[in-house]
Amino acid sequence: MRAPRIRAIGLLSGWGRGTAAIPVDASEAAGGRPVLTVERPVLDPERFRRSRRECLMGVAAVGAMLEDAGQGPEAIAGERTALLFATAAAYAPSNREFIEARGGSMYFPYTAVAAVPAEVAIAFGLTGPYEILVGGAPATMRAIARAAFLLETGACDRALVLAVEVFEECVDLFERLRSPLDGPLVEGAACLWLEPGDGTLTFERRRGREDEVSVRFQLGEMLACEPLATLALARDSAGHEATQVHGSWRGETARLEWSTAPYRTRPRAA
Amino acid sequence: MCGRLPLATPERIAVSAAGVVTPIGQDLDTFWSALLTGADGISQIERFPVADLRVGQGGEIKKLTRAVDWRRVPDCRATRLLVSAADDLCVQAGSRPLDVEPDRLAVVVGTALGGVEEGERALGGSPRRLARALYDAPGHGLARWLGARGPVVTVSTACASGATALGMGAEMLRRGEADAVVAGGYDILCRFVMRGFDGLRSLTRDRVRPFDRRRSGLLLGEGAALVLLRREREAGPRRLGTLLGYGSASDAAHIAAPDSQGRGIERAMRAALAEARLDGADVDFVSAHGTATPLNDPIEAAALRRVLGARGATVPVNSIKGAFGHAMGAAAALEAILCLLAGRHGQIPATLGLEERDSACDIDCVQGVPRAHRPRISLSTSLGFGGCNAALVIESA
Repeated sequence: MRAPRIRAIGLLSGWGRGTAAIPVDASEAAGGRPVLTVERPVLDPERFRRSRRECLMGVAAVGAMLEDAGQGPEAIAGERTALLFATAAAYAPSNREFIEARGGSMYFPYTAVAAVPAEVAIAFGLTGPYEILVGGAPATMRAIARAAFLLETGACDRALVLAVEVFEECVDLFERLRSPLDGPLVEGAACLWLEPGDGTLTFERRRGREDEVSVRFQLGEMLACEPLATLALARDSAGHEATQVHGSWRGETARLEWSTAPYRTRPRAA
Repeated sequence: MCGRLPLATPERIAVSAAGVVTPIGQDLDTFWSALLTGADGISQIERFPVADLRVGQGGEIKKLTRAVDWRRVPDCRATRLLVSAADDLCVQAGSRPLDVEPDRLAVVVGTALGGVEEGERALGGSPRRLARALYDAPGHGLARWLGARGPVVTVSTACASGATALGMGAEMLRRGEADAVVAGGYDILCRFVMRGFDGLRSLTRDRVRPFDRRRSGLLLGEGAALVLLRREREAGPRRLGTLLGYGSASDAAHIAAPDSQGRGIERAMRAALAEARLDGADVDFVSAHGTATPLNDPIEAAALRRVLGARGATVPVNSIKGAFGHAMGAAAALEAILCLLAGRHGQIPATLGLEERDSACDIDCVQGVPRAHRPRISLSTSLGFGGCNAALVIESA
């Protein structure tokens, strides 16, 4: 399929803002901490009075993406912008709170996976095609492929691929599900601005875990945010070459490859 | 796909078979007969405590009756509903395992709740259930049962999830990522969702009355619905119809309520029609979302009138939610299957619960008795929490 061009990337992670905060070795940098947390973003307290932390992280990631692009919200508002959201588990804290009866009924709608992209769509007036995938890194890579399809068929003029993961409130549950060798859990929120581009995009998947784990060694476990953080890192290090992203989840490995450099502009601090 | 046509005509995607499990029938034929005869799938919920809730009724499946070897299926109700529907689908398709290379068989399912009941049970003292609490766990359980080794995708656009799954499955076939896709939706009734909707005062103490003047809210139901999608040129003669178009759109208006003007669902419908290379004048039947909430029905009816144009008052419309409640992630897939069955049998079921049409819902909702009508082109609409809207355009065989 025709490859989309990456116009901008916004990245917040438990390591800090942008790629400059990402360490070389996640386990060493974590210093034994099981989770690297993203603080609740400070946004309009009245407008977002009921919003959960993960929703605000999504809004803040889009804000960081706009800053990276040097554009205001009006550049993405309207029905010609598609929004594709991916997460493996951003719904877990809201679900847990509701199950344990720590949230009132007015918070029930925030237990939906759709709560994060809904807050983002409302905040930025995004009324175009709208899809939500559940899963780890391959779900985000599939969302990028879907965005490429929507752009190629003229269904939208631009597509935002958003991923958010939060772990802090459910760290005890996640720790039961994973091996300590997997490295620290690193919260994140990242958004990619895609527009029509040149060259081809290849999306492939196969059964089995990925062989290439160096990105996870560097980032820690970011689940659905991992491919977007990888693209941000790749822009910094090799922005003018073809770009490949790998990711695995539940015994499936996916690969996304741009035939030409996907970045529209020179690297800029996100 | 906001009104602009895609560059090239999309490859046609055949619906080769379908399978369902619902409170009114656990196979396609029984489901259809129950819709035609006006069977009522609403009952007092028995599977979990509801005494503390304002409303304790819903579309509950009392017992799974299909002859499946349940020892091979995880003890997870969501997975078991999916497997029940898949077993029916395999019967309809004429083979199990399905006649597809395992590596080329994909699974795409939509859900609003995933394995959340397993999360309730894990937090209630059964920690081994935790791994099944992730929202994509039941979809992977279904893939294992089917022997599918192709892509396994879970989407969660709330109550529009089933439509999103069918749309995404069609694109997977067009891109050549799979040769067959089992696509659809599911959700179960559990305390989590009953408590949530009960607290929001969305549930009615009356019956569900879509598009009725006296409608006072929805009731929840459970079920699963799956279709087998193939590229039409490879599908063979056995088919229920063709998936011609899919569209989605965000409301960007409210976290739980639909846009007051219905602009999101209108954009989704227009996008689906554009992908199908059709317009509102081509539509012969609408399988509506029709939740029977005071807010949804007039908004949806007005959006339908705008999209259908001059024929908006005469195109037959049905909502199945009066029969067994709102099946959430399964609803859109069930409604798509209804379109296919209406085309096959030449009948539109009546909307159960509709007795006094609301003048604010100025559409031709089939009322009282089924109507003899064989739609060629059907439109199915879905709305969900988070401003999710999706629509499908379906051609009968």
